[in-house]
Amino acid sequence: MSDSWQSSNIKPLTEWVNLQQPPTYSEYCQHGGYQGAKHAVLEHTPNEVLEIVKNSGLKGRGGAGFPTGMKWSFVPMFAEDDENAPENKYLVANADEMEPGTFKDRLLLEGIPHQLVEAMIIAGYTIGANKAYIFLRGEYHLAAKRLQQAIDEAYQENWLGEKIQGSKYSLELYVHCSAGRYICGEETALINALEGKRANPRAKPPFPQVAGLFGKPTIVNNVETLSNLPHILKNGIEWFQAIAPNSDAGSKIYGACGRVKTPGLWELPMGPTLREILFDYAGGMQDGLNFRGLLPGGASTDFLVAEHLDTPMDYDSIAKVGSRLGTGGLIVLDDKNCPVAMVLNLMRFFAQESCGWCTPCRDGTPWAVEVLTRIEHGKGRIEDLDTLAKLCDFMWIGKTHCALAPGAVEPLRSALKYFHDDFLQHIEQGCCRYNPESLAKRTQVATAGRAVS
Amino acid sequence: MSVSNKNSVTIFIDDQPYQVSTEDNLLAGVLSQKLNLPYFCWHPSMGSVGACRQCAVTQFQDENDQRGRLVMACTTPVTDGMRISIKNAHASEFREQVIAAMMTNHPHDCPVCAEGGECHLQDMTVMTGHSAREYQGTKRTFTNQYLGELVGHEMNRCITCYRCTRFYNDYAGGKDFGVYGSKNQVYFGRQTDGALESEFSGNLVEVCPTGVFTNKAFSAHYTRKWDLQSAPSVCSHCSVGCNLSIGERYGSVRRVMNRYNPELNGYFLCDRGRFGIGYVNGEERLRQVKGISQQSPVQLSTLDIAKALSHFRLKNFIGIGSARASLEANFYLKNIVGNRNFSVGYNDSEMQAAAQHAQLMQLGRTPNLAEIETSDFILIVGEDITQTAARMALSVRQALRNAAIAKASSIGIPSWQDSAVRTIGGTLLSPLFSLNSTTTKLDDVAEQALLIPVERMSLCLQALEKLLSLGNKKIVEKHINEHFLQDPFLQEQLSSSEQHFVITVYQGLCRANKPMLISGTSLVNAELLESIAKLMLSFKQDNGITEPGLIITPPYSNSVGALSLLDEHSLSIEQVLTKLSEQVDNEKLLKLQGVIVLEQELAKCSENQIQQLRALAETLIVLDHSENRLTKLADIVLPVAAVSEGDGHYINYQGRAQKFTQVHPPVLPIQESWRWLDSIADTLGIKVSVENTSTAPLSALAGGSANISSKAKTMTKNTSCQSLLQLHQFFAQHYPSWPELIADIDSESNDRATARMSHRASGRTSQMANISVHESKTTQKSDDDFRFSMEGASIRQTSNMPFAWAPGWNSNQAIGQYQEHINGTLTQHSKANFIAISADLANNTHWQLVNKVASDSDKIDYSESVPNSLSYVQQQSIYFSEWQAALTPEFKMLKQSNQLFISNVTAEKMGVKSRQWCKVVFSATNEQKQLVSQTVIGQVMVLANLPPSLVFGNFPLCQSLTHQLEMKITAAEAQEKTDHLSQFNDDVLAAKASKEAVLKRLKENDQTIPIRLVSGGLNDA
Repeated sequence: MSDSWQSSNIKPLTEWVNLQQPPTYSEYCQHGGYQGAKHAVLEHTPNEVLEIVKNSGLKGRGGAGFPTGMKWSFVPMFAEDDENAPENKYLVANADEMEPGTFKDRLLLEGIPHQLVEAMIIAGYTIGANKAYIFLRGEYHLAAKRLQQAIDEAYQENWLGEKIQGSKYSLELYVHCSAGRYICGEETALINALEGKRANPRAKPPFPQVAGLFGKPTIVNNVETLSNLPHILKNGIEWFQAIAPNSDAGSKIYGACGRVKTPGLWELPMGPTLREILFDYAGGMQDGLNFRGLLPGGASTDFLVAEHLDTPMDYDSIAKVGSRLGTGGLIVLDDKNCPVAMVLNLMRFFAQESCGWCTPCRDGTPWAVEVLTRIEHGKGRIEDLDTLAKLCDFMWIGKTHCALAPGAVEPLRSALKYFHDDFLQHIEQGCCRYNPESLAKRTQVATAGRAVS
Repeated sequence: MSVSNKNSVTIFIDDQPYQVSTEDNLLAGVLSQKLNLPYFCWHPSMGSVGACRQCAVTQFQDENDQRGRLVMACTTPVTDGMRISIKNAHASEFREQVIAAMMTNHPHDCPVCAEGGECHLQDMTVMTGHSAREYQGTKRTFTNQYLGELVGHEMNRCITCYRCTRFYNDYAGGKDFGVYGSKNQVYFGRQTDGALESEFSGNLVEVCPTGVFTNKAFSAHYTRKWDLQSAPSVCSHCSVGCNLSIGERYGSVRRVMNRYNPELNGYFLCDRGRFGIGYVNGEERLRQVKGISQQSPVQLSTLDIAKALSHFRLKNFIGIGSARASLEANFYLKNIVGNRNFSVGYNDSEMQAAAQHAQLMQLGRTPNLAEIETSDFILIVGEDITQTAARMALSVRQALRNAAIAKASSIGIPSWQDSAVRTIGGTLLSPLFSLNSTTTKLDDVAEQALLIPVERMSLCLQALEKLLSLGNKKIVEKHINEHFLQDPFLQEQLSSSEQHFVITVYQGLCRANKPMLISGTSLVNAELLESIAKLMLSFKQDNGITEPGLIITPPYSNSVGALSLLDEHSLSIEQVLTKLSEQVDNEKLLKLQGVIVLEQELAKCSENQIQQLRALAETLIVLDHSENRLTKLADIVLPVAAVSEGDGHYINYQGRAQKFTQVHPPVLPIQESWRWLDSIADTLGIKVSVENTSTAPLSALAGGSANISSKAKTMTKNTSCQSLLQLHQFFAQHYPSWPELIADIDSESNDRATARMSHRASGRTSQMANISVHESKTTQKSDDDFRFSMEGASIRQTSNMPFAWAPGWNSNQAIGQYQEHINGTLTQHSKANFIAISADLANNTHWQLVNKVASDSDKIDYSESVPNSLSYVQQQSIYFSEWQAALTPEFKMLKQSNQLFISNVTAEKMGVKSRQWCKVVFSATNEQKQLVSQTVIGQVMVLANLPPSLVFGNFPLCQSLTHQLEMKITAAEAQEKTDHLSQFNDDVLAAKASKEAVLKRLKENDQTIPIRLVSGGLNDA
């Protein structure tokens, strides 16, 4: 984890992050905290805040990149005495950060929990939510503790509870620690889990904005997305849009992991190139290793290789070269590690995390694991590559109930494309050339005269 | 779910235009066109969830779009002009891959799997064309659970379609079963081994597309579907009259399957209907005559019977019919003994209740189950329908979803999008109000479930009646509390919870568009039924409230048939005994030779009454299918065919006449009770009206004319009725009131009888090959719409299908091929036949209610002390309350040890705690002013909301001990508890032994196939 923060134009999200001791309420206020919430709740109507967020161009940071304001605009709003108004409306922060290679939300949750609390007040006010939940990945124990402390402080200072700061708006905020399941990162599966049901994603329509948690209007937003709100409300739209030079507004927390010199997280204006992140911030590959490829946004994105390194890391540009920005955290593959083994490892994860609802994901991912395992252990056949290609097609978008399987397929299909030779080598030579044990076995076996099929 | 053809639009499937309803989803629409599209998780009654992905088709934007995209047909709405392709290579390959994916774990069990030959997975696999296995890995396996004696469990076969949990939990409201685990290790079962608690668990057998859940009794004595001989039948256990398909092989009944009827049972049965057939093979079956000597040791002939009965030539008998015997048999008996000597085996209270029931049936058409499912407000009074008319309770549960369905519809979500509707609905339910004397399984979905003794139910209904009579709902509702406060009757007579109940029911009725009122006769309380009648009248007043549909559920399969035969001369059991004893005192009375008892076990009669009957009847002739107290005492016992072994009609709760058809002819001398009565009528003669020599429609039976001649003369019978048709013709000839039940045979249509067996029925199997490879001639039967053979008309040409099968559809899902459109009527369907129920019974003042003067005993004592006068109600049980089903060994094994439910006030006073083992002494003074008492050892269960004047339990108390009783509870001694439990354990073990004995006998008999060359009377071989 890098300690030295590279100076860039503005780093609103991480500027006051302190992992040793996150800012208390008063410290947070000294840094301008709760100003945004004050503007929103005391000086604007919910509709005005909605317009601000829409016009800011803020997009979801959880991986989908959907415009946040537009998402909120589908929530039905009611007058105070309207008898058709549902008894509750909900705001949920998706803090179930389980995408492999992603740890940006953890930084925010552990390092500056008040920022999220303030953000949820703003968001809750805008959509008319009276109850809010932080759906927190259960393994983030420290974050749970720190968030609850921040929430307690906020209640004390009348930023939560009845009639916030003397306004007519009330909000109850709870931390809910999940039992630990990747699929809970999918917003409708998250809602089911919050209701105490099995974490299967829901069919849409209805969309959560209309019928979500307990059948009521609900908004689910990523932690990083929400964390932008205090700053947008405090500093204004022009400021937010001026951060980044291109059409995607604001800053983003980028990350890198793998065998690079300085893995970590860096908040930067939207759009640095892959090369900049990899070499300028992550320090390039460790000594003795060369760059082979990377997944630009977490495990469920397509591989990009050397030819793509000058692509800017924004949603459109990465999509144009055949991958996804996703969460913006790089997973870097070096040339001394087996791509087949990497993909096998990822596929095992997805097969384990499949919720078991729909056939292609539930039965397709373990099938892919079976094939990849055999290939990795030198028992693959040339037909297996066709099988893998068919499985990639079988589990693609539109054929499954949610995006887990298509995400699982992205590293596999891009690996088949870019690392085809490695797959062939495993099959033809009956071993993994990156693995000395495997190599040794094969040499023995080869000398014993085994025919390689 | 959609059932109509309105909103029909044109869509293009593989470039061909089709008319499809926009109310359906695309899958249902495609299947309605009889096009083949595979599916698993969609179910016509449970809608779509999009889990299996099997039904993928390609949808094109327009004529120019060549590529299209894959959509799941079950979750895709039908829109005007949409273009889809089923045959498209991309879609077909995907569908094949879905099967291949499911097959990665599916075991190669087909040869040993009970589902094989009627397996939906097999059918869909063939439909997609998948055949070669590419997966090379191992298969995940599970351990199985013991889920009870009815449903087997083999989890390795699971393809994770989620249908079982959707049915058991979502559709049927079951709690003790569910889905566990994730990824490809999803597990469907219970938290721990144990018998499934839902009354509808048997539907898992049909709902599961593979062999995970199988019919355990069927599996124990197994045969393939294609070897079964089946016939369309009707359930013999309750008054709903669900349609069944009963299958047999080589003379023994094997299993019951659902037979689709869109107005009644739809696709589901209750466990009593599905598994209660066990009595047919039970150890208690009577298979020989008693009291008739045979000329030939091998065969009983009609001459033997004639000889045995010859002593009774033209003598008078009393006939006791039954609510579980067929309409034909009851009608015949009545006309043999004459309407002044006829009883249906009801005691005085039951006769009073029947008189009320007959009058209630005059009020209008009774809704069927499909109509109940569209209701938006249901009030249940005094009947635990989950136990007594279970299939109706399942329909009530569906009705409760209507509020959620309406809410979903308001945001554009159709009812078939099942998960979406349930998400939007959340916990929203349409209102159900329940007024009962015991807790019921519907309590947890009721808006209010009030537990009160039956006497107070009438008071509550009277209060509701008052509110309905006050005027227009808009005005009354606004001031409802004032109305209540002002009325002394309401204030003093009702408790606060009763008042609250009545007010909320009234408010609910004000809002309801399609309310239903459901009650029954289990509590045998005529006052309650009378208050229902008065309540129904109050709806006719100008109050702006919609009149509810009225449903009265009597206990037995032919209760309404029996009701239709009761007139002002019909006798109660007490009157029968009086009449018999009077002739002993008074020699001048017409001498009664004895009593003929038709399929009536007289469960409610005390030992004394049974002994009295035996003593007073010089000759006791009993016709029944299984051993009971009466058969043991009878002079002549005639073994009767069970529902699968004969033809006849039952009348259901609506008055709908439904025919049950013989599945196989029984081993002689067993025959239908109407055949025995035909022989008896030869000797005793039949009674016909004196005036009935002309064509004037007068008769000695119930029916409207004021000139009814009360004199009947005995006529000797000339003809012998060989078939049901001949019997009906005979009745029609002599009794104008006999309803038209059998349609004339249409000579223009294909008049080949329908085959009872499938075209794949092995004419020759190896089962008997060790003895002989010769297959005997098929059984002949006259006037039969069906054939005991695979040769005959295809099932698609009859409105009563013996079983469901279509090319490529071997499982019960085949029914989709015979519906006009999914969930609709069958393409071949005959109009329902309702018979008239007269209220002549009520003309007899003996059965009318005396108007009670309100007494002090009606006023409730609200002090917290335990009243001295309690009433006890025995809980109804789907397994034990109906005598025939209770004979099934698998049900006997479900027996529970004694439980008594008391209020916390009572518990405190008696110093006992909940679940404590206690000795309970009940005592009361009976009509003869004698003190009667009964001691019961059992567990007391404390219920906070139970009024202190009411207790209920799962054990029977003698008649005198149900009302005005006293109760003393003390802790049971350890020995008493041990003794009770060991007796209970012995009973369960005996049941298990009985089950095994039955199985052993059936298997031994597999090599002794009883062949009847002709299915007719005794003279036919």
